[in-house]
Amino acid sequence: MSTRQPILRAEDLHVWFDLPGDSELHAVQGVSFELRPGERMGLVGESGCGKTTTILALMGLLPASASVAGRVHLEGEDILAKGEESVSPHRWKDIAMVFQGAMNAFNPVKTIGSQIAEPMELHGTATGRAARAQVRELLELVGISGERAERYPHEFSGGMRQRAAIALALACEPHVLLADEPTTALDVMVQAQILELLVRLTRDLGLAMILVTHDLPVVAQVCDRAAVMYAGEIVEMGQMTTIYHDPRHPYTRMLFAATPDLLGDEDVLSIPGAPPRLDHEIVGCPFTPRCDSAFAPCPTAHPRRLEVAPGHEALCHLNDHLVAERPA
Amino acid sequence: MQRSDYILKRTLFALLTVFVAITLNFVLFRALPGDAVTGLKCHNCTIQFKNALRKDLGLDKSKWQQYVIYLKDLAHGDMGTTFISHRPVRGELWDPIKKTVAMIGLGTVFSIVFGIFTGVISAWRRGTVLDKVSVWTGLAFYSVPTQWLGLMIVYFVADRIGLPHGGIQSPDYGILGNPGTLDFLKDRIEHMILPALTLGLVLYGDYTLIVRSAMLETLGEDYVLTARAKGMSNWAIVWKHGFRNAMLPVVTLIALSLGFILGGAITIEYVFDYPGIGLAIVDAIDKRDYAFLQGAFLALTLSVILFNFIADLLYFKLDPRVTT
Ligand SMILES: Nc1ncnc2c1ncn2[C@@H]1O[C@H](COP(=O)(O)OP(=O)(O)OP(=O)(O)O)[C@@H](O)[C@H]1O
Ligand SMILES: [Mg+2]
Repeated sequence: MSTRQPILRAEDLHVWFDLPGDSELHAVQGVSFELRPGERMGLVGESGCGKTTTILALMGLLPASASVAGRVHLEGEDILAKGEESVSPHRWKDIAMVFQGAMNAFNPVKTIGSQIAEPMELHGTATGRAARAQVRELLELVGISGERAERYPHEFSGGMRQRAAIALALACEPHVLLADEPTTALDVMVQAQILELLVRLTRDLGLAMILVTHDLPVVAQVCDRAAVMYAGEIVEMGQMTTIYHDPRHPYTRMLFAATPDLLGDEDVLSIPGAPPRLDHEIVGCPFTPRCDSAFAPCPTAHPRRLEVAPGHEALCHLNDHLVAERPA
Repeated sequence: MQRSDYILKRTLFALLTVFVAITLNFVLFRALPGDAVTGLKCHNCTIQFKNALRKDLGLDKSKWQQYVIYLKDLAHGDMGTTFISHRPVRGELWDPIKKTVAMIGLGTVFSIVFGIFTGVISAWRRGTVLDKVSVWTGLAFYSVPTQWLGLMIVYFVADRIGLPHGGIQSPDYGILGNPGTLDFLKDRIEHMILPALTLGLVLYGDYTLIVRSAMLETLGEDYVLTARAKGMSNWAIVWKHGFRNAMLPVVTLIALSLGFILGGAITIEYVFDYPGIGLAIVDAIDKRDYAFLQGAFLALTLSVILFNFIADLLYFKLDPRVTT
């Protein structure tokens, strides 16, 4: 494992959304993790578990209806400390993202090239002719011919737009890339190409990346580490190989077991039941109703986060015996 | 499909529509019970006189022959002669149309400029007092009947700001020697302001609401969040990523509404006794002046087609996706 300082560190991150009628939705509930330079981490979980919300919180891009607590350190600096003022100088320059549904991330009435050049000009990394030259280079880098910079989004196929969105994220040479489901809505062949591209880019440019997906096998292919989210919490996190061979949370095990549907509808996970609603407090372990190994403490006590092995943590009562053996 | 083909296609389509409009204009007037001469009222309108007149106008020929003659005359720019003043319809139409176009032009510019301005601000500052005031003002002007607003302006505003209640020329105009061009313009514009304001306010209500909702929709798009993430300031986002996209539906709606205004300013012209095309049409209906009416309706139809065509071209200019 790398001993270098983490480039990105989230500490006890919480996000609440104000809902109409005085209620709140606790979308992210105490997420903490570290990302080291050059590392690829997968953030996995079912729809609605808070992946996008976590990513947007890291970027300081949540809507006004959201309140955030916790700290996010980017290269040692707390970028959420003073709200917009402290994030905006880093956003896109040091930490950039590929949006979920990046297909619509481009304005239909402006050329792709001008939109990729925009962040360069806004952050002053390149202007005018230099910016245009860089745009071409970036497009070539993601496998699009440089001449296509003058084209409009509707003239790009879905896969090309996704590539262009990646080029856009790389515009100011960030050190951290957050990719939110960059391959959803693409066909399998294109998916594989995009994943390969992301691996190549992170390796060649020394980028650290968080890859958000609800497809654990994809993470297994691409990432060094994985964090599994359920109901706003990271329920298991560790090296990819460890998690694969020795999952310590039933949810992780069931995610691996849930193979993609043969009919091609890969969004369907075959874990019975649905995740709990997050707009009221959950007593006990939120996974209890769907868990195949639930026992006495599960419905009443929230499990503790335990390091089950070095660099491998899980949030499940099944691991409680470790505490008895090893006094904390 | 090539983008350049689009203009050709739109042009051909517009021309075809013009042809259909001309034909319909012919057919509708022949489909009315009676003909141009039947309703004519005068002291010496005996049967013999009317028959002679029919022959004179070519109404004794078959409908098909009449249609061919109508097309031929139109092609030469000849729209016939008015029944009452016996002058060419074209000239008789042109004068009131000029006056109406000047008046609604003024009102429209007012409404577009202010409508877009407050619509954008209102969307940008959604939910604030400013937004609420703007929406309610817009709704009020949008829902008020035009003639009522006109009357209120005549009663309560005209005298206070010293503008004429109606007409198009001051009674004392030209009495003291020959007025110069400047005096003429000043007099005309003074008479135009209040009717133009009335129209402008009503249209303003319409436009500001449309612009606001188009803008709100655009500001919710994914690419707006992208722009924010890239580091763009709020105002730059509104201007560079919101405005042009929001203008797409707005341009079409405005152009379409403009096409109809030429004929739709009748109530305003009536209230302000402004001698534009609307009043001329009312007058011609009173006098059963078929030739004039036929010409006027054709002109109004052509204006709708023209503005549709302009809307198509603008859309083409603004939206790179348009190809068909
Ligand atoms: N703007 C918002 N206002 C209110 N609730 C929100 C908002 N955005 C997200 N949520 C809620 O927060 C929770 C987490 O949503 P989030 O989009 O982060 O999930 P996700 O893991 O990214 O899911 P998906 O795989 O569908 O993208 C969900 O319950 C969602 O309904
Ligand atoms: Mg998401």
